[in-house]
Amino acid sequence: MKYVALVLKNLTRSRRRTILTIFSIAVSLFIFSALVSLPAVANQVLADSASSERIVCHNKAGLAYAMPEAYKQRIAATPHVVAVTPESWFGGVYHEVSDQFPNLAVDPDTAEAMWPDWGVSKEAWKKFETLRTACLVGPGTMKRFHLHVGQQIILRGTMYPLNLTLDIVGVMRGGSAPPNFLIFRRDYLEEAAGRPGLVDVYWVRVDSSVDVPRVITALDREFANSSAETRSESETAFIGSFMDNFRTFFRLAEILGFIVVLTIGLVAANTAAMSIRERRAEIAVMRSIGFPSGTILGLLLSESLIIGLAGGIIGCGAAFIVLKIFTVGAVALGPLSDIRMPPSILAETLVVAALIGLASAWVPARAAARQNIVDALRMVA
Amino acid sequence: MDVKFAIDLEHVVRIYRRDEFEVRALDDVTIQVPEGRFVAIMGPSGSGKTTMLNLIAGIDHATSGRVSVGGEEITGMKERDLAAWRARHIGLIFQFYNLIPVLTAFENVELPLLLTPLDKAERREHVETALRIVGLADRMDHYPRQLSGGQEQRVAIARALVTDPTIVVADEPTGDLDAKSAEEILNLLTDLNRQFNRTIVMVTHDPRAERFVDTVYRLDKGILVGIEDGKGGPARAESAQAQA
Repeated sequence: MKYVALVLKNLTRSRRRTILTIFSIAVSLFIFSALVSLPAVANQVLADSASSERIVCHNKAGLAYAMPEAYKQRIAATPHVVAVTPESWFGGVYHEVSDQFPNLAVDPDTAEAMWPDWGVSKEAWKKFETLRTACLVGPGTMKRFHLHVGQQIILRGTMYPLNLTLDIVGVMRGGSAPPNFLIFRRDYLEEAAGRPGLVDVYWVRVDSSVDVPRVITALDREFANSSAETRSESETAFIGSFMDNFRTFFRLAEILGFIVVLTIGLVAANTAAMSIRERRAEIAVMRSIGFPSGTILGLLLSESLIIGLAGGIIGCGAAFIVLKIFTVGAVALGPLSDIRMPPSILAETLVVAALIGLASAWVPARAAARQNIVDALRMVA
Repeated sequence: MDVKFAIDLEHVVRIYRRDEFEVRALDDVTIQVPEGRFVAIMGPSGSGKTTMLNLIAGIDHATSGRVSVGGEEITGMKERDLAAWRARHIGLIFQFYNLIPVLTAFENVELPLLLTPLDKAERREHVETALRIVGLADRMDHYPRQLSGGQEQRVAIARALVTDPTIVVADEPTGDLDAKSAEEILNLLTDLNRQFNRTIVMVTHDPRAERFVDTVYRLDKGILVGIEDGKGGPARAESAQAQA
C-alpha cells in the first residue's frame, strides 16, 4: 500500500500524456468490445432460444420457396409429433419503409403448444385464438414504436399487395422469445391474400428430444420426390444456419477488433518506452538508494496497468451504454437485434486492457529496472 | 586501541571496456578510512574519483581486489543483496541533487524509508527530523521546482541521512551550486560529521572543500598518488597506502 501514492504521483507526471494514453486505449477497447460482442451474442442466442424439441421443416430449395398447406396434416400424422404450426413471412412495415421488424403469420390453434416458453399469458393466448385480427408483439418492438396492449395497428405489406389491421392482445416477454417479432393469425392473412394456401416454414414439436433425428428423417422421406421436397432440421441447427450468414462478418469484426487492439498496444508501448526512458536517471537514483530491481519493475508495470485498466473501464463502459442505446434500432440483424454486451466480453475486454498495460511497459520497464546504475547516473552528469 | 575502518579497499582495480578499448579507471588502490571521518577524494577529471565512490557505495563492482564497507565485504554480493545493503548502510548525495520532481520535499526524503518496515507515523517522525537537521522543516510540502539549488541539495542530504546510514557518500555535492550555497552545504556536512560522528566520503573538485575535511585522497589516472591532511582536522588514517 505504501507504494500506491508513489505510483499515482508518477501517473500525474505528464497529465496530458497519461490522459491521452488512457483515452486512446479506451477508444480501441470500445471498438474491440463492441465488435467481439456480435459473435458472442450470436452464440448466446443459439444457446438461449433454441428448444431441443422443436424442428423446422422448410422447402429443400430454400427458405424463399413455399410449401403447400396440405403438408400440415401429413406432418401431424408422423409418429412422435405433438404439434405443427405453419408459418408465413408477411414482411410488412409499420409507418415508414424504415419501420421494419420481423412479422409472421402462424396458425393460432397450435401456437401456444409450439412456443410455451415465449412468456405469453394464458389470457393473451386465448384472445389470439379467438380474435381473427389478434397479434402478439415482442417487447423490443413494443418499446420502439411506443405500442401498448389493446392498440390497433396497420401493417403495410411489401411482399403482399395488402395492408393488415391488427389488434395487440399480448406481449411475448419470455427470455427465449424473439424480442422484435410480431406474430398474427395465418387464417387472417390467407383470407386477405385470396387463399394462396402456401406456407414458408412448418414448426414441428415432438414429444422428446431423443426423437428429433428420427422425426427429421421421417418428414424428409415423406415429402421426397414431391413438387416441394423438404429439408428438416432442429431449431438449433436452423438458427445456427441463419447465423452462418453472419459468420464472415463476425470473423471480420473479430479480426478488426484484434487489429485495433494490436495497433493501440504498439502505440501504448511507444508511449511507455518514452515515459520510462525520460526517467532512467531517476530510476537509477532509486536503485542506488536501495530499491531492488523487482520493486522498480513492479512500480513501472503498476503505472502502466492502471493506465490500461482505466482505458478498459472507460472503453467497456462506453460500449455497454452505446450498445444498450442502439439495440432497439438494430432490427436489420434479425435474431441478433437484442445486442447487449455479455459479462464474458466485459471481463475479456478488461483482461485485454490489463494485458495492453502490462505488455506495453514490460520491455522498457524491465530494461530500466536492470540498467547499469552507473551508466544511467552518468546520463544526468 | 583497535581502529575500526568504515571503508577498507584492498588492491582494487576497476577496468571498463569501451568497444575494443580497456580503460583502467582504478589501478591497485588500497585505502582505509576509520569510522567517523570526513574525507575527500580529489583529482583531475578522469582520475577515477567517481569510480572509487561508486565502488564504496556499492553501485559498481571492482574488477579485482576487495571492498569492505562498514565492516562488511561487498565485493562478491549479488545485486539483490547489494540493494538491501545500500538501503541499510549508504546515504547518497549527487551533484545534481536527483530529487524526484513529482514528489514533495517530504516525499523525496521519505523515499528510502519505504524500504524499511517503519509505519507511516514513524516514517513521518524520521522525515521531519531529517528535514529539521538540514534546516528545511518549513519547506516539507514544496516540490523541487519550488526550491533553490542549495535547498534542493539540503533535501538530498536529508534523504541521504533519513535512514541513519553507516556512511554518507557525496559526489560533487557543491558542483552545481554558487559559492555561498556551496559553503553552506560544506558547513552542513561538517556539522553532520561532528555532531553525529557520521563517516562522510566526498568526491570534489572544489579546492575550498579541503578546509572542511579531515583527509584528502588524491587520485590521478586511476592511481592513488597522495594522502594529505585536510584543514578540517588531523588525518588519522591508520594505514593508508599509495600504490603507485
